Amino acid sequence: MRFILVDKILELIPGKMIRAVKRISGTEDFFADHFPGFPIVPGVLLTEMMAQAAGKCLDAERKSRGKAMLAKIISASFRDWVHPDQDAIIYADIRANQETFATSNCYIEIGSNKVCTAELLFAFLPYEKLVEGYVDEVLESYLAENP
Amino acid sequence: MAQMTMSEALKWVADLFEEPLDNINPLTSREEIDAWDSLGTLSLLAGLDENFDIRLPIEQSSAFRTVGDILEVLRQHGQLMNQ
Repeated sequence: MRFILVDKILELIPGKMIRAVKRISGTEDFFADHFPGFPIVPGVLLTEMMAQAAGKCLDAERKSRGKAMLAKIISASFRDWVHPDQDAIIYADIRANQETFATSNCYIEIGSNKVCTAELLFAFLPYEKLVEGYVDEVLESYLAENP
Repeated sequence: MAQMTMSEALKWVADLFEEPLDNINPLTSREEIDAWDSLGTLSLLAGLDENFDIRLPIEQSSAFRTVGDILEVLRQHGQLMNQ
């Protein structure tokens, strides 16, 4: 299972906000078990979607502090089910943005329905810890089209 | 945020570290609080920033040894009533 849970960035202000989309096709492996006869996206994956989106917003600043890494789920609420064949629109507003940490308020909408929310805390991993040549293709694709 | 009393400040610290209030007093050491690790330090920095608009370098917060050190920062920034 690949773990890229953001397909495309729709709007981005580096270090401040991001709006992105994840297409949920229904062919994802986890639906087989979660749950038979009632396929829904697990809350932990919805949280990871929000974390990945917020992380890209922070990484877009290109600061030397490193890559944003989820450190704590301060709070998370899951208000409605997310079913197959839906587009999850992911929003993240960066609340605090410091050298050693950042926090974000995030939510996901399906249509006009807010299905989940989260407050997240991020730490930063020095880029030299990642594999040489690591590239966030989703982020770089957006930045190339929106210089 | 209005100035806190000592009991309010101790509750804030207890909630931050998800520790029973009975376990928190100014002399409580970092080692006595399970959640006061590197993540706890980040949570502390974020909490001070968000709740009190206090921004500390991580080196200063990493040097804290007791709950009293946190209370002293709150006091220095006018967030804790003098007693």
